[in-house]
Amino acid sequence: MSVPEANPVPASAPSAVPTRAPLEAIDRSCRWPVLVLVLLAAGWLVTGGLLAVLAAVKLHAPGLLAQHAWLTYGRVQPAAWNALVFGFASLAGLALALWMTARLSGAPLRGGGFIILGALVWHLGLKLGLLGILAGESAGLEGLELPPYASPLLLLGYLLMAPWALLTFARRVEPEAYVAQWHLLAALLVFPWVFATAHLAVVFLPLRGVLQAAAQAWYLQNLQLLWLGFLGLAAVFYFVPKLTGAALPSRSLALFGFWTLLGFGSLAGMTRYAGGPFPAWMTSVAAPAGVLTLFGVYAVAVNVGGALGGQGARLRESVVLRFAVLAWMVFLVVGVVGAVNSLIAVRRLTQFTLITPGLDQLTLLGVCGLALLGALYFMVPRLLGLPWPAPALARAHFYLAAAAVLVLGGAFLVGGLVHGAALNDPETGFIQVVKRYLPFASTGTLAHLLWLAGAVLFALNLLLALVRYFRQAAQPVLAAWTAAAPAVAAQPAEVKP
Amino acid sequence: MKHGPLLFLGVLSTVLASWLIGVVAPHFQIGSEEPILLEDLGVNYPVDRPGEAKQGAEVYRAQGCHYCHTRQVRQEPLIADLTVTDLGTNAVEARAVVASLRRDLAGVDGSRLPAELPRPLLAGVPYAAAEAALRRLTNAGARVELKLANLGADIARGWGPRRTVARDYLRDRPVLLGQVRYGPDLANLGARQTNAMRLLLKLYNPRLEMPGSTMPRYPYLFEERRLRPGQAPSPEALSGLGFVPPPGVEVVPKPEAQQLVAYLLSLRADTLFYETFVPRPSAAAAPAGVATNTPAVPSAGAAASPPQP
Repeated sequence: MSVPEANPVPASAPSAVPTRAPLEAIDRSCRWPVLVLVLLAAGWLVTGGLLAVLAAVKLHAPGLLAQHAWLTYGRVQPAAWNALVFGFASLAGLALALWMTARLSGAPLRGGGFIILGALVWHLGLKLGLLGILAGESAGLEGLELPPYASPLLLLGYLLMAPWALLTFARRVEPEAYVAQWHLLAALLVFPWVFATAHLAVVFLPLRGVLQAAAQAWYLQNLQLLWLGFLGLAAVFYFVPKLTGAALPSRSLALFGFWTLLGFGSLAGMTRYAGGPFPAWMTSVAAPAGVLTLFGVYAVAVNVGGALGGQGARLRESVVLRFAVLAWMVFLVVGVVGAVNSLIAVRRLTQFTLITPGLDQLTLLGVCGLALLGALYFMVPRLLGLPWPAPALARAHFYLAAAAVLVLGGAFLVGGLVHGAALNDPETGFIQVVKRYLPFASTGTLAHLLWLAGAVLFALNLLLALVRYFRQAAQPVLAAWTAAAPAVAAQPAEVKP
Repeated sequence: MKHGPLLFLGVLSTVLASWLIGVVAPHFQIGSEEPILLEDLGVNYPVDRPGEAKQGAEVYRAQGCHYCHTRQVRQEPLIADLTVTDLGTNAVEARAVVASLRRDLAGVDGSRLPAELPRPLLAGVPYAAAEAALRRLTNAGARVELKLANLGADIARGWGPRRTVARDYLRDRPVLLGQVRYGPDLANLGARQTNAMRLLLKLYNPRLEMPGSTMPRYPYLFEERRLRPGQAPSPEALSGLGFVPPPGVEVVPKPEAQQLVAYLLSLRADTLFYETFVPRPSAAAAPAGVATNTPAVPSAGAAASPPQP
């Protein structure tokens, strides 16, 4: 990675020993590119929340809005997933990545214009893709639904945005990278590769037969662990020590956890299709890999737990810390349940049950979503240079989001066991199976409603903050304008922007 | 970790390794599979779907049927019983093997067992263990019978006579295996449901046939046509199962609905070939389809279709 010579570092900084740029300068360099990402992410958070509520309702009220083809469950469900993954989580994750890299590298963010352009291209691609899915043009496999005319736009947008994080990282002041940064960089490197490869192998040049599903399982695992999961972990590793003021107990343990999660987690995808129409060795490789990710989960548990020890009081002060800590806890739950769930004997019970969507949604909303929301609550005031206009809304959002994740996790993980027990008993007629799992699946509606309510509060708070920012920014101009009004009225041509 | 390039290469090689193991290696194993010729029938399995069913696959994908229905049958765990029918000429060695398999039968004098034949030897053991025991006993000259005691819940539910294998999906694009069973498995729907009208009615309103079903209605795949007074409904209009259209109106499936039903009727994965062969429980006497390797043609095997769940 070569660094272009032309750089906006103040001329006073000697090129041999770079100095840390002042925080305000860094935040100012991030302001508009990152804020555009945050605004788009907030919009998708609400859109995705609405779609997710609709999908959850349709699971237990199948007659609702049935006459509209574009609102059938099989279209709303993938639309909600894509809106939340690529709209909310990915854009908020990129916002965090760009801002955190600039902050940790001690260098102002560059490429603002490209980043804004990339965000708009990504946004447009996702909008097209979502409309395509609702119109019935989904590419098919779960998680890879974006139609072939949409996914290249997302990749293009990504390539306009993410390299600036890497270029900023390359100009870091201190050579030693921080733990959060490893996770962030790994996520940034893995995403485009996994995204492009999987779409090529499944949508554009489809592999033969069930190999498509194998590529899909690989993609979903990497997307969830190495993109969504690592973005969440990056936020946790950044904000928990920062807000508690305690260092992570062990850097080498973090390193160990990072590589075990990466190495074993990346292999564990095929547990999704355990017992399916594949050569048996594929599951046999994935199952132990899934179990071995427990090492990584353990490392994260011990390290973050150590930085948190005895800091309970800080949780009351900081909503950001609360989000980060809850995301960390959900990560541990998902990690342990996921590892147990990859055992073949357990998989026989849990396969095809609510546990599969339960774990997917917990990763998305619980690990990545909560951590990134916390990050946004930290970043936005610093980008705007203004406190949140309604901190009470932020606190309410935390409780709503926490309740959503707890309800969702409880209902789908317990419901999955009930669902599996019923499915595996051939004496239980299928309509009885439906009656057993339905109460749990219906609870998903409550969870998504809570999540949506929180999302609306966040969007509202963000809008208020923007209004306040612009009002404040307009103040001097306005004052000058009203003072100079008579003169302006006389000679309008004199007005300068 | 001071070195960006080290991180970069490490991440790249880890994910590359998982791609090689998870996708490329299986590609070398099964990526060049072709439909196989079933010689006694002269057809290639999987049989290519008729054109209407191929269009129906697109409807299936567009409606997202696979978000609630899987199309894969499992048969794990395989559990087997082993019965000795004849000890053969080398009875001493056969008895020794029996004694080593069932210590509780050996008693004081290992040479006196088993007393009467045929005698159940192993019950409810994993298939691989039963197969290993079978090999040892046959090598010792005995005759044994291996029966499958359990083919798994999917097969017991009548969702198919065997597990699904990679070859079953060679003609599908995209391959929608499904991950959640909000609804029943559809891998062999065409074998247990041969009545197109029933499927059409199910698509129009699933709760006609199955009260309490949570399947969505698909009224937009149908068209309501006004009937002139005295005009008889057209032959393809929905009827039966207690379905009563509003007076003066007939409900006619659109082409998409017909295509989807044609596709659903073509869903079968019950042909046996060597990858899928499993010894049948002899008591349940190999059904006709097993003995003749019936290919996936919609008309065959309907009589043996299992009860609806």
